[in-house]
Amino acid sequence: MSVSERSAAATGKGESSALARSLRGAVRRNAPGYLFLAPWLIGFLCLTLGPALVSLYLSFTDFDLLQAPNFVGMQNYIRMATADPKFIAAMRVTFLYVILSVPLKLAFALAVAMMLNRGLTGLPVYRAIFYLPSLLGASVAIAVLWRQLFAADGMINSVLAIFGIEGPSWISNPRYSLYTLVVLSVWQFGSPMIIFLAGLRQIPTDMYEAASLDGASSSRQFWKITLPLLSPVIFFNFVIQTIEAFKAFTPAFIVSGGTGGPINSTLFYTLYLYQEAFGNFRMGYASALAWVLVIIIAIFTAFSFLSTRYWVHYDE
Amino acid sequence: MSTSIQLKKVVKRFGAIDVIKGIDLDIEPGQFTVFVGPSGCGKSTLLRMIAGLETISGGDLLIGGERMNDTAAAKRGIAMVFQSYALYPHMTVYKNLAFGLETAGLKRDEIDRRVKEAAATLRITEYLQRRPKALSGGQRQRVAIGRSIVRDPNIFLFDEPLSNLDAELRVQMRVEISKLHERLGNTMIYVTHDQVEAMTMADKIVVLKAGEVMQTGSPLELYNRPANRFVAGFIGSPKMNFLEAKRTAADTIEVAGQSLRLSSDQLGQAMTSVPITFGIRPEHIVLGGEAGQSLGEAKVDLVEHLGGSTSVYATMTSGASLTILAPGQLAIQHGETVPLRIDAANCHAFGPDDQTLRR
Amino acid sequence: MSDEARVLPGQGSDHPYLRSALSHCLLMAASFVMLYPILWMLAGSLRPAEDLFGGGANLIPSQVTVAAYPQGWFGLQVNFGHFFLNSLLISSLATLGNVFAASLAAYAFARLNFFGRNFWFALMLGTLMLPYHVTLIPQYVLFLNLDWINTWLPLIVPKYFAVDAFFIFLMVQFFRGIPRELDEAAQMDGCSPWRIYYKIILPLSLPVLATAAIFSFIWTWEDFFGPLIYISDMNLYTVQLGLRSFVDSSGTSSWNELFAMSVLSLIPIFLIFLFFQRLLIEGIATTGMKR
Repeated sequence: MSVSERSAAATGKGESSALARSLRGAVRRNAPGYLFLAPWLIGFLCLTLGPALVSLYLSFTDFDLLQAPNFVGMQNYIRMATADPKFIAAMRVTFLYVILSVPLKLAFALAVAMMLNRGLTGLPVYRAIFYLPSLLGASVAIAVLWRQLFAADGMINSVLAIFGIEGPSWISNPRYSLYTLVVLSVWQFGSPMIIFLAGLRQIPTDMYEAASLDGASSSRQFWKITLPLLSPVIFFNFVIQTIEAFKAFTPAFIVSGGTGGPINSTLFYTLYLYQEAFGNFRMGYASALAWVLVIIIAIFTAFSFLSTRYWVHYDE
Repeated sequence: MSTSIQLKKVVKRFGAIDVIKGIDLDIEPGQFTVFVGPSGCGKSTLLRMIAGLETISGGDLLIGGERMNDTAAAKRGIAMVFQSYALYPHMTVYKNLAFGLETAGLKRDEIDRRVKEAAATLRITEYLQRRPKALSGGQRQRVAIGRSIVRDPNIFLFDEPLSNLDAELRVQMRVEISKLHERLGNTMIYVTHDQVEAMTMADKIVVLKAGEVMQTGSPLELYNRPANRFVAGFIGSPKMNFLEAKRTAADTIEVAGQSLRLSSDQLGQAMTSVPITFGIRPEHIVLGGEAGQSLGEAKVDLVEHLGGSTSVYATMTSGASLTILAPGQLAIQHGETVPLRIDAANCHAFGPDDQTLRR
Repeated sequence: MSDEARVLPGQGSDHPYLRSALSHCLLMAASFVMLYPILWMLAGSLRPAEDLFGGGANLIPSQVTVAAYPQGWFGLQVNFGHFFLNSLLISSLATLGNVFAASLAAYAFARLNFFGRNFWFALMLGTLMLPYHVTLIPQYVLFLNLDWINTWLPLIVPKYFAVDAFFIFLMVQFFRGIPRELDEAAQMDGCSPWRIYYKIILPLSLPVLATAAIFSFIWTWEDFFGPLIYISDMNLYTVQLGLRSFVDSSGTSSWNELFAMSVLSLIPIFLIFLFFQRLLIEGIATTGMKR
């Protein structure tokens, strides 16, 4: 502000100039922040918040991409609950996948992390090897590989044949196909393992020293020191991995060739959503499916957070 | 060049809390002013408000007579040396010094001239191509000062610049900053929590407590005539002794069972029977002799031999503890009883509101 | 995270050598099992077609041939070189956008004061949890109306608007660790927020920028869903889509070619992993990334 402006404001052209001055001040204080934020803000409003609201609206319509959406009330949601066996199948498959893969994955991650945390030489090498599948795992190539590993004449059955076992065709048998995907998920335990390792390093060594002076056995140290002190990390990994498991898509798509078969046994929720949206162009229904997924994740997250007070130990 | 700074009823508010509670202050051109006070007193906040790093919630800041409340930091003609030095770790020393000049759009050879000049002044020429990480604490300190000098500011601000140095270096840098002030003659404001730094460097000390100015004055004014008990206790080391006292007559008080005669000026309007506080600095208590008046006796608890002086910690017969700083080396033993003598001129008396009693 | 060994007392102090040897054996066996599928794929790509299934679980091919590589490369009507180039372009442009846009937003959140900052920050964190399926259909409609279907734009442009909040979060964490006095010193030196951003903050944030760039690249490279719904012209295919087409079009006879292309598709990720392993692992350890 120049001297003349200032004196004009000071000698008082009345309230309007004072208002203008404070307004200018507000703009000057806030402008840089909003300029830097602008790309994200535009993206947030136009590509996240806006679309999310539109999709909420579409979920109450019969939108099919070609014609303007007609409002159909709760019909999509009612159909889901009462008249869509594929939806029920997708829910069943997805929940089974989440319930099996997440705990197994975390158990492996924690077990290996604890082993690596013992001060072994070569830790970086092991850590890298165990992490590699996590990094590669999301790509189509690995899904292709998995499909081949568990094929009727694939590697797994060749190994079993050595022991005289004749394995089934894991991929094309609806009894087993989902489990191959669970194994694929567990195989990628590397990134929660790294987070566990970082968490284990935060536990002060003198706690273990004090505990062993008190005569606590290794298993007692695990239950009474490691687990409680690691519980925030376990909680974090649990929430993140569960949400990721709900969102899994690529492996099921590739392994089943996009069908979710055999007999819907790998019909992941997101795969079903994809089929409805881009196969059958039931965009309104697919939007409703998306919102049900949001609600499931929200309820799960809320319950997880509520449960923390019973098992997650936070430092004051 | 040097510039005056005036603060008029300056306020800083964080939410509902006033951390600076309406400060009035005049800093004359070329003065070396030290803001001193315990941590949390608002001295750094006040400095940052002058620098333009904190907004001013109320009142006016005038620099060279112009209101600067809303002027950007860089346009106030101010340079600042930070507590952590805040040297840019990814730039060489040369780049660190040149950065502000480049930002201002100076010509390359002008920048070069100024950087080399500042480097020569601060004896850091040989480190110009190094990164800050490769420098010692004292060298970093010099670079930080150099970065302020190159910009040829009207005002220098220092925010506890010596607190990260070891004791020896601190004394050395203290002297260097004082010399720098003498040579440049700029207005400088220096923030510290260390009253020794304040006493040794300042033309003018501003003692702050809880966002208010307790007293402003030259080091010796503050030492000799503290305005209140807080300043009396804060300035001077070891700390002034405070004893409970009572006025018994116009020019007499009773301290630790002893009757002392002070000048009535020193006691002001204090009522008899109202409890007052009597203050005497450790270095103003004489052990034995005949000079001045008696303050009774005390039993020695601990003796510290510093060589040039001796600190004695003692308990008076009234139970009050006392610190005594005597010049030279005294042959006193723990458990001995010593007679205490004081001179009325060195005594201080504070009213129930902790203000110095004055007529 | 440092790598130096840390010995926890009270754990197996009786036979330290035996115990550590045992651990090593166990870990090596586990490593072998973990890597076996990948090695098997690599071996499979080097076998003659008729040998693939007869070879069973063996890692060593009875006969080594690289014939599957050129055969696979030209196995579809558009060759894989095209797909690789496409993927490389998309991933590079997306990475650039991600790093740029995310660092701008992160700087605003970490360093600038503005009205509503905490509100927007909370919303930004909220989008971390939001499954992308919710925005999928309206976004598709939006891009359809913009006539962007069957172009790369839907895969690239959103990254320039920092839609992946994860990267903003990653950078905010890092920026907050840079001493604020540096910004203030630069401010005293006359820097505008923009100059502080690119002269002070960005140069000091190279590790996190690299981490973000690497993850951004890998995730875009591996992305299957995006290209699947937006791209139908084979000339515009990414490697992932190319592989999918290969699966669909090839009979069991050309599995070795499929493996060869799969191996090639993993090589860029593997190279990044080899060279930037440390950044990847630190990135995960400090922010708790999903993969």
